[in-house]
Amino acid sequence: MFNAPMDNVNFKRKINIAWLFKMALRDSRRNRGRLLLFISSIVFGIGALVAIYSLRYNIQNDINSQAATLIGADLSISGNKEPDDKLQNLLNKLGDDRSQERSFPSMVLFTKSQNTRLVNVKALQGNFPYYGELETAPVQAGKSFKKGKYALVDKTLMLQFNAKVNDSLKVGNETFMITGVLNKAPGQTGIAAGIAPIVYIPMQYLDKTGLITTGSRINYSYYFKFNNNTNIEKLAKGLDAQLDKAGFNYDTVESKKEGTSRSFADLSRFLSLVGFIALLLGCVGVASAINIYIREKIRSIAIMRCMGVKASEAFLIYLIQITGIGLIGSVAGALLGTGIQQVLPMVLKDFLPITISAGISWLAIGQGVILGLVISILFALLPLISIRNISPLNTLRLSVDDISTARDPFRWLVYILVLLFITSFAYLQIGNWAGAAFFTIGIALAFMILTVTAWLLIRFTRLLVMSSWSYIWRQGFANLYRPNNQTIILTVSIGLSTAFICTLFLIQQLLIGQVTLSTGGNQSNMILFDIQPAQKKAVAGLTREQGLPVLSEVPIITMRLEKVNGKTAADAKKDSTLRISERAYAYEYRVTYRDSLTASEQVTGGKWEGKAKPGKEIPVSAEERFATRINAKVGDKLVFNVQGVMMQTYISSIRKVNWNKVSTNFQVVFPTGVLEDAPQIHVLLTHVPNNTVSASYQQAVVKKFPNVSIIDLGLILNVLDELLGKIGYVIKFMSGFSIITGIIVLISSVRISKYQRIQESVLLRTLGGSRKQIFAITALEYFFLGALSALTGIVIAIGSSWLLARYTFNMPYAVNFLPVAAIFFIITLLTVIIGLLNSRGVLNKPPLEILRSNS
Amino acid sequence: MLNKFQVVAALFLSITFAGCGSKTTSNDTQATDTAKIAASKPTKSILVFGDSLTAGYGLDDPSEAYPGILQTKIDSAKLPYTIINGGLSGETSAGGKGRINWLLKQHIDIFVLELGANDGLRGIPVKETEQNLQTIIDRVKAKYPKAKMVMLGMQVPPNMGATYASDFKNMFPKLATKNNMALVPFLLQGVGGVRALNQKDGIHPTAAGDKILANNVWEVIKGIL
Repeated sequence: MFNAPMDNVNFKRKINIAWLFKMALRDSRRNRGRLLLFISSIVFGIGALVAIYSLRYNIQNDINSQAATLIGADLSISGNKEPDDKLQNLLNKLGDDRSQERSFPSMVLFTKSQNTRLVNVKALQGNFPYYGELETAPVQAGKSFKKGKYALVDKTLMLQFNAKVNDSLKVGNETFMITGVLNKAPGQTGIAAGIAPIVYIPMQYLDKTGLITTGSRINYSYYFKFNNNTNIEKLAKGLDAQLDKAGFNYDTVESKKEGTSRSFADLSRFLSLVGFIALLLGCVGVASAINIYIREKIRSIAIMRCMGVKASEAFLIYLIQITGIGLIGSVAGALLGTGIQQVLPMVLKDFLPITISAGISWLAIGQGVILGLVISILFALLPLISIRNISPLNTLRLSVDDISTARDPFRWLVYILVLLFITSFAYLQIGNWAGAAFFTIGIALAFMILTVTAWLLIRFTRLLVMSSWSYIWRQGFANLYRPNNQTIILTVSIGLSTAFICTLFLIQQLLIGQVTLSTGGNQSNMILFDIQPAQKKAVAGLTREQGLPVLSEVPIITMRLEKVNGKTAADAKKDSTLRISERAYAYEYRVTYRDSLTASEQVTGGKWEGKAKPGKEIPVSAEERFATRINAKVGDKLVFNVQGVMMQTYISSIRKVNWNKVSTNFQVVFPTGVLEDAPQIHVLLTHVPNNTVSASYQQAVVKKFPNVSIIDLGLILNVLDELLGKIGYVIKFMSGFSIITGIIVLISSVRISKYQRIQESVLLRTLGGSRKQIFAITALEYFFLGALSALTGIVIAIGSSWLLARYTFNMPYAVNFLPVAAIFFIITLLTVIIGLLNSRGVLNKPPLEILRSNS
Repeated sequence: MLNKFQVVAALFLSITFAGCGSKTTSNDTQATDTAKIAASKPTKSILVFGDSLTAGYGLDDPSEAYPGILQTKIDSAKLPYTIINGGLSGETSAGGKGRINWLLKQHIDIFVLELGANDGLRGIPVKETEQNLQTIIDRVKAKYPKAKMVMLGMQVPPNMGATYASDFKNMFPKLATKNNMALVPFLLQGVGGVRALNQKDGIHPTAAGDKILANNVWEVIKGIL
């Protein structure tokens, strides 16, 4: 450029920021329609992100408040003795509203039928429950019973004794009028609730019953509600030491959730996953738009460079422009997302069994806008830094669009920034760096696999295309590797979207499988125990006679562990290097015997043996954790003391027990042939469909087998089942929603390739290509792109969902290939359709018109 | 899901074996080392047949339960008796009926019956418990007609209701008289309802409480040894 007239340009001039802004604006003016398309891609990406986030926050809140019905209050404190003065003082001060309850087992008398029955009396004072209700028939009874000498009685119990509302019930020395039938009660998920049916009475009459005297066994519970946003967990942990000293313990919604069901943890993990995938979808949407946008701008940039714009100025002009576009797109996206989140629950209200509150989540909106901006800039940087390398000569070499960035060191900086961004975001979602790193590596791997696939596709099609093929096929394939091809960018964006959609789908299927497993109709909800061997057949017969299934019937023998490899409790105590837990010897083992494994068990070591050989050592199967506790492996010798009889056994197999399945599980399982004569009791599990059946069944059992105790889990499982059912719906809904937004992002990222093919299609048409030919060529190109990326995406999804299932959700993995195949066809079809829609303009209008409008 | 079943499992476990209690961990000596007893010098044997109270539920060392303490008393009195601890946590009278034959395989000179507490806590009709206990007594009598018998009385907490509580309490003297058994009116005398002598669950005695239990039994049993 030594002799060029531009020599007098001052290259050291200061950067004029105002001018840069003006240029950024001017440049954008050139083709607003096209700009709109790009912005729309950002809008969809961010819209998806904001909508998913908002829904997620709302749903999380909804589920949390639902979960509060597990205890019915923010905090409950209970113990089995009267609190001392110091504790009483504390209890009087805690919370903004408090209730108290005394509960104890007692024999009550139904005066009309003169039947007595063991119940769990709960004397209540205050406004408990604060979350959920005492659901009664008639409805108002749940609240009004506290006003007089009234009682609420468990529904099954009412049916069992044929009692009616307004009958009287004698508790201790006092007679209460039954004012309502109790259908559901919050806070009844505890173990104690199941032992006996519940009867609620107002606490003011408790003393008069005469049941509270020296020697009475009473449980004292205190329930607290906090109005403001107190951190209950922290508060409770602070109280723990004091409570423990006083012999009391506490329950919070969080601790109850943890103890009650894994589904809550699964749900929050799933929602994190959804959030993460929403972000990545946003990234795909925004990044592919920006990338193509900048590539299209190369000519303008080159012209500007010819006019004397410095490389750094060009860079800044477009950085400003992209920031502007990113901001507009993100704000619009946030609006769209919020709109969707507001409208959708309303539209779907009738179909969803859950109410999703439609509050506006400013957190989600803020996150969406900031993320949109950051993603725009971050992903624009890669093509933007190449702007610095666009020389004015590029005006002349327009056909060669490859501006090599391969040697630009800044490229690596951008890569690192992108990686850092994704990792730190993953950290925000997951909460630990190892997991975040794992996720980022996974994403990078997926990205690489897709890039490599695209690269291989380019290489192979180039070799593959033969002149003997028809014109259309040759063109269609050639489009994949010719200059100005879109193979890499589309493969990556379609592939990643497919991978995300498919991963979500697969994980959702697995989770739903788990949740339905737990709420399914044929789960045991009634347990009969203390069945004597002689009664076993008769009880099972009676159960079947009543039309109820015998879901499980197991003998239980109590025994103690005497020796582990010859070491007794005393040895274990002396020698800690044995690593045998001392408590293992103190424990009373409930053991069963059978000849086969159950569905919930899996042998992880050794070999299962179902039959003992007479006169030989007995092969037993040890549960994994039990084996660890006694530091034993396959082949080790254990001596069990079966109520006075020593049994020499060895561990023939180690089992993994899947606690997710509802069945009776045991630490130690004996083979058949040794314990048949040992003292044992039998346990029977059945499922009762409703309270009426439950009542008549219980009546029949109690009449015939008075020693058999029955636990009706109906009331306990009601609350839980409902909650789990809701969690199932939330998972389905969120994944459905995310999958749809994923598809929209996919559509929009294919859509932005519109202008890439227009020039060529128009040229083809001018040269005499028929509409049919162009149509076929485009269809072929998009078909190959769509099919290959979808396939690669699905393979990635299967891998990633396996990893997620195994390491994040800890659940068994299975793929249902039919829906996966459907995903494949849908995505391929979508890609082809959008590709064809993209070139519709070219096909329908005369070439000249298009050439003029798309100069 | 979770732990729904764990809830269930814990449920029936805690009930079956804590019948007298509500914690899941436990501790028990069942007829410990019958073999050992058989191998030792020919002495007379006392079978204490009972539930978690006999088994020593929740104690660090099952020998701290009252049968163990009785054994020390017997040993220091140089009496030729060995106690077989036939306690099993959570045992009901119906369970005992099923289990007694297993224990009667060994010779018994004195039979101490401590069952019924779990029946009481579960509200099983007193008549039913009474029948089961009678069957157990009959079986012992049939096998070892010469064995001396001791009945350990029990009461249920007053919150169970006055009628049930008194019916339950009266069942033991009634059975004792009918079967000509020595009677300890209330095994937990001086311990039941006293916080300091009971474990956290409020029903199982601590090691200190068990000493009092042993005294209650010793007062009656020393006369027939």
